[in-house]
Amino acid sequence: MMRALLFLVFAATPALGQTPTYSPEPEAGLTTPYLGDWEYMVGGGVAVFDCDGDLKQDVFLAGGQGKAGLYRNISAIGGDLRFQPVESGLEIEAVTGAWPLDIDGDGLTDLAVMRVGQNRLMKGLGGCKFRDASADWGFDGGDGWSTAFSATWEKGATWPTLAVGNYIDRTQDAFPWGSCTDNWLHRPAGATGFAPPLALKPSYCALSMLFSDWSGTGHADLRVSNDREYYKGGQEQLWHVDPGQPPRLYTEAEGWKRLRIWGMGIASRDLDANGTTELFLTSMADNKLQSLNPGAQKEGPKPTYDDIAFARGATAHRPYTGGDIRPSTAWHAEFSDVNNDGLDDLFVAKGNVDQMPDFAQNDPNNLLVQGPDGKFVEMGDKAGVADMGIGRGAALADFNLDGLPDLVVVNRREVPKVWRNVTADAGGFVGLWLADEGANRDAIGAWIELRTGAHLQRREVTVGGGHGGGSLGWQHFGLGKADQAEVRVIWPDGVVGGWQPLAADGFYRLTRTGAEQITR
Amino acid sequence: MQSQKLREMRLGRRQVLAGLVVAPALLSARAARAATDGTAVVDSWYRLTLELVRHTPIYSPPVASRAFAYMGVILQECLAGGPEGLVSLAGQVNGLPPLQPSSAPVDTAFVLHTALSSAVQSLFSHTGPTGQRAMAAMARNLTDKLASAPHPDASTARGKAVADHVLAWASTDGGAKIENMGFPQQAVKEAKPGEWVPTSKIAQQQAPLLPYWGNVRPFSMAGAADCGLPPPPPYSEVVGSEFYTEAKEVYDTSHNLNDEQKAIARFWSDDPMLSPTPPGHWISILRQISDRDSLSLDRQVEALALLGISMADGFICCWKTKFDYNLIRPVTYINRVIDKTWQPLLNTPPFPEYPSGHSTQSGAAAGILAHLFGDKFAFSDATHEDDGLPARNFSSFAAAAQEAALSRLYGGIHFRSAIEQGLVQGACVAGHVARLKTRAT
Repeated sequence: MMRALLFLVFAATPALGQTPTYSPEPEAGLTTPYLGDWEYMVGGGVAVFDCDGDLKQDVFLAGGQGKAGLYRNISAIGGDLRFQPVESGLEIEAVTGAWPLDIDGDGLTDLAVMRVGQNRLMKGLGGCKFRDASADWGFDGGDGWSTAFSATWEKGATWPTLAVGNYIDRTQDAFPWGSCTDNWLHRPAGATGFAPPLALKPSYCALSMLFSDWSGTGHADLRVSNDREYYKGGQEQLWHVDPGQPPRLYTEAEGWKRLRIWGMGIASRDLDANGTTELFLTSMADNKLQSLNPGAQKEGPKPTYDDIAFARGATAHRPYTGGDIRPSTAWHAEFSDVNNDGLDDLFVAKGNVDQMPDFAQNDPNNLLVQGPDGKFVEMGDKAGVADMGIGRGAALADFNLDGLPDLVVVNRREVPKVWRNVTADAGGFVGLWLADEGANRDAIGAWIELRTGAHLQRREVTVGGGHGGGSLGWQHFGLGKADQAEVRVIWPDGVVGGWQPLAADGFYRLTRTGAEQITR
Repeated sequence: MQSQKLREMRLGRRQVLAGLVVAPALLSARAARAATDGTAVVDSWYRLTLELVRHTPIYSPPVASRAFAYMGVILQECLAGGPEGLVSLAGQVNGLPPLQPSSAPVDTAFVLHTALSSAVQSLFSHTGPTGQRAMAAMARNLTDKLASAPHPDASTARGKAVADHVLAWASTDGGAKIENMGFPQQAVKEAKPGEWVPTSKIAQQQAPLLPYWGNVRPFSMAGAADCGLPPPPPYSEVVGSEFYTEAKEVYDTSHNLNDEQKAIARFWSDDPMLSPTPPGHWISILRQISDRDSLSLDRQVEALALLGISMADGFICCWKTKFDYNLIRPVTYINRVIDKTWQPLLNTPPFPEYPSGHSTQSGAAAGILAHLFGDKFAFSDATHEDDGLPARNFSSFAAAAQEAALSRLYGGIHFRSAIEQGLVQGACVAGHVARLKTRAT
């Protein structure tokens, strides 16, 4: 009996992870810089997805005033990170960001491209080729300054619902304050395209938005993070998005608490595996880590959040190296287990807006590594990713399929920087690729549950959030010292799959019929 | 007496310095005003400044009050010695040396525009790229509108000379450099039971805002001690003690707030980076009065100068007192002694409690505005309409200040002593500022 208890305690507490180590990849081959001045002070996203079906994730880069670019991942398995530019049809100017998703359910990943000007839905044709399908799909790209995106499949829908976040009225350059333009909600019109967009009034200069099942009830609402620099009377927002109903804001009576930050990015993860998501919200100076207030949930889910950033060591408010002690400016944020200890870590891209002298100019990116006590410890400098570029977008992805999340960061006015994760003695891992039936091929809205002994990890599959971009494809899980794991999927329609045994250090395709190991 | 004289004054809108009068432009009255009138120039820059205060992160309320004070002094010095009858503040406010008058004819509006352009771009040099664009656009647009004004070179030189002169003086006051948005880098580690401790979970705010601000050079008084205050009630956790009773009032009030009281709390909340701050709120009130009553340029300038000085001196005195007594905030005390789960309606500001900063500066502002416009001067305040807060009406400046002060009780961030003594301190400051001579007669 005692032996069993000891096992449970050990198994429920992941071992302290290795300090992650990253090696710069100056020859990686990503050469699209994010260019431009005022209209490109935000954005600068990177989208990561497989455009050619080789299961290695490729990279699309926003180019701002210049042209965007798509790069095929030609890295050898376990080797150096290498990318090759592709003539793809995505060589578009004025791009601020992009998010990959399979809009038309044909099994080929499409790309929602956000711009200063008309947004575009680019249909994937296979072989890393794309064409503009906006008109075919009835998508009104508007003429705004678009800076955020998210997508969901509403219950019963065979076509996604898209949310587009818009920023300042760019014609009001002399007096832009209070000129936030409307965010749009593009709902399906049948099964082949979109109805005219609904304006999400009021809108408050969104820089990130995310459809998320925040309460773990199987229903996604739209969280919007807004830049208080430009709104008047605004705040962070959570929209009810119920099928067949007009969107409506959560109210204080429903538990919503007003929060006003320089909202720039959203990272979402169920850090404590309790079925609800924590949200990391990037801003200037202190960042927020929100967790649902337990006391407010007694009579059903309420979006009443506590800020636990200070308690968990995740404020990331000031440079931790380099000697610049002015407050930081945070943009893209993303959770991932970078040392495979079974605990999600947090990467934050940092960079001055432009020339704001009261904020750090030498503002290193953060790599906050989570410990067994749930607290985050800064290891960006030790890991080698404390870059001082003017960061905006970023992505963590296992580009060379060695089981360790690598890193790409977009900085203003220079080519992106790439780091290969070379952490020695990292824990085990599994890479999971969800493939569902029907229209929602990538199972957006599903939950993945993975357990190693008594240690449970839960993750929602989403499209959106971040700053300027996101990833589609592999879901990376660290396993710590475990040599096997069990995984199950709660599919977007609520069907709960059975537990599937997985051996450590493998890549798996998960379908409703089970788990299939993929040979690298 | 001066107030009565001021109320009777109505001077023409367009004058020049050195006794020269410029022929009016051949435009409609409205267009002419928009294009070249000094009042419009001043108002345009102040409108932009209110936004810059909101959107420049170092602009906490004390820092904002300082900017408004120096902008006002610059305006006063631009008009000093001219036909409007205003006189220089040199030799009256601490340390401001005289500036040689202009020997060449100049255009008043052009001088004001050049001076404010220099001043705003200097005081807000730290604002972000959007603010930089807006300042450049304002400078460009007003320069274009003043293109037909006479004596452009001399006017430009004079405006810049005045701005440079005042800003050089400003650079020596101890308040020019703000680091880390005003927060010391070292967090407060230990505090006695009645002393201030951090109240937020924001890492940057684990030390109090601008602890040295009480030593910034004041304008109208020898030092902050000129308007010092008696200590707050002695700290006690004993039920029935004066301190406990004041805390219990905050706690009970928070549980019985009606809609009107909540509206008052939010109307005067004036949070940094989400509003023009408390001093910007009173500047906004003056802008609205100036527009409603078509104040003449000299009255507009005089009022902006004295209002700015009163609020700056108010914050200096208030901050000196705050850090002398270093008193605990209601949320800390109530969580410790009365209810560990209690939270106030408003966010508790990150610095000591006594006295209330909004009370002191509102008392100072109301005092000087009553001095200029009268004790029973009714007005409507629509400062926050863009933020969805409807206008409020007041029968007098004192009524507005009292409401601003009491809003801190409704908001749960101040005890009654801090509110009442803050108003007392503000009145003291206004008395000092009112002794400044702004007119020749």
